Amino acid sequence: MRAISLLSLFIGSCLAVPALAANSSPQANEWLHRLAQAERQQSYQGSFIYERNGSFSSHEIWHRVADGHVSERLSQLDGDGQEILRVNGKVTCATSDLLDGAGARADTAHRTLDPLKLMSWYDLKVAGKSRVAGREAVIISVIPRDQHRYGFDLDLDTRTALPLRSLMVNEKGQLLERYQMIALDTDRPPGDSDLRPRPGCKPLTPAVAKNTAARIGWRSDWLPPGFELIGSSAQVQGDDKGAGSSLLYDDGLSRFSVFLEPIKDANESDIRTQLGPTAAVSRHLVTAKGAIRVTVVGEIPLGTAERVALSMRAQDIQASQ
Amino acid sequence: MSREALQESLSAVLDNEADELELRRVLSALDDQDTRATWSRYQVARAAMHKELLMPNLDIASAVSAALAEEAAPAKVKQGPWRSIGRLAVAASVTVAVLAGVRLYNQDDITGVELAAQQPAQQTLSAPQAQGPAVLAGYSESSEQPTGPMANGVLQNQAGWDQRLPNYLRQHAQDSALKGSETALPYARAASMEDAK
Repeated sequence: MRAISLLSLFIGSCLAVPALAANSSPQANEWLHRLAQAERQQSYQGSFIYERNGSFSSHEIWHRVADGHVSERLSQLDGDGQEILRVNGKVTCATSDLLDGAGARADTAHRTLDPLKLMSWYDLKVAGKSRVAGREAVIISVIPRDQHRYGFDLDLDTRTALPLRSLMVNEKGQLLERYQMIALDTDRPPGDSDLRPRPGCKPLTPAVAKNTAARIGWRSDWLPPGFELIGSSAQVQGDDKGAGSSLLYDDGLSRFSVFLEPIKDANESDIRTQLGPTAAVSRHLVTAKGAIRVTVVGEIPLGTAERVALSMRAQDIQASQ
Repeated sequence: MSREALQESLSAVLDNEADELELRRVLSALDDQDTRATWSRYQVARAAMHKELLMPNLDIASAVSAALAEEAAPAKVKQGPWRSIGRLAVAASVTVAVLAGVRLYNQDDITGVELAAQQPAQQTLSAPQAQGPAVLAGYSESSEQPTGPMANGVLQNQAGWDQRLPNYLRQHAQDSALKGSETALPYARAASMEDAK
């Protein structure tokens, strides 16, 4: 029975994908391919700002591609001066605050942009031209095909296809967050000294990727189309460290986390909050394992987060083995 | 009728909280130029409070007056017990007209924002000004706005949530940053969560 339903799903998706993709423009697809390649082939350095409601910060970035290795250093110019160093997509060091406790959750899987996958859930269009950080840019509109994700306006550098600006907008067209380069130099690759982290940048020791959804014992009855599990961990930061588990889902562009924690008080009220681009919904479910607090946090609409929270089920261990 | 009472009624109508008496009072006073000016001032204030765009030239009052003029005529013809029912019907239709007007007014706001968004980037940029995240002159870093329970105007006064929420946000941002992406967005989000601590 399961095989039949899987088969029909597979056939259905094979038929559906080309039809859906027809709404996206080949030019936009081409630009996103160039973007994915640029990150692996182009050295650059620059500075950018990030804004979401109530928060504004400025950062510097150094990105070097040499001998097939991609090294990237990100450093905050204001506030606490957060810093992170990535080599070939893996975080090798970070300031203590930024990735506090994350070392235990670090694994090797690294996500890359896949325009073909994106086209199933978003319409990709070339929306015009703009000028950002003193450079000519082309605007790629990434328009969600359903109400379960937000849209983006991506401004890509015409010369190198590097992202110069990213605006996340909700279904009403309201701006939720802004990432914008203010200076970009693609001619001068960063030197060794630029990529040397500050002393406060603590090395991360990658943990063995042993956590699986099956071990964590949770599954979702419903997920917004296109979202799949890309990571999980048997750890939730907070008052009851180690007592819960977390799952990370991704549709190729947007991500959300699901935190599951056992609670004693089954009368907790349900809560929802929207913080700029990030929605947070907390609900409690009563399961065979007892009362559970399910919290969904991510860059998805509040209603979708709520539905995800309501759809979490305890995994039947027997069935999964 | 006193000026204050009228203003109170005006405000009640604006908030959809007017009873029938207040509604009639406001409608009969709306021919007055001063009252109209007050009405539109209240609308500006309301739009500002709700962080909405304002449709400056939408005059619901005149539409309602027109509806009244049309409806009043057949109602007068009726005699006896039916007359009062006819009057009730007029009152009901006026209420509907006002409510629908306020509704339309709000919907128009949203459409306005949407229209702005459908045009390329330059237009989209005007959205934050209506939304409020734009940094004001009096903005202070220590306002702690992002993680508070009042964030985005959603009042959530649940014990424990205020402490837990920053942890959830941070772990989500960190896990996303660890997964990497083509832009520095997950990193920037994580850093912005740290600042908000």
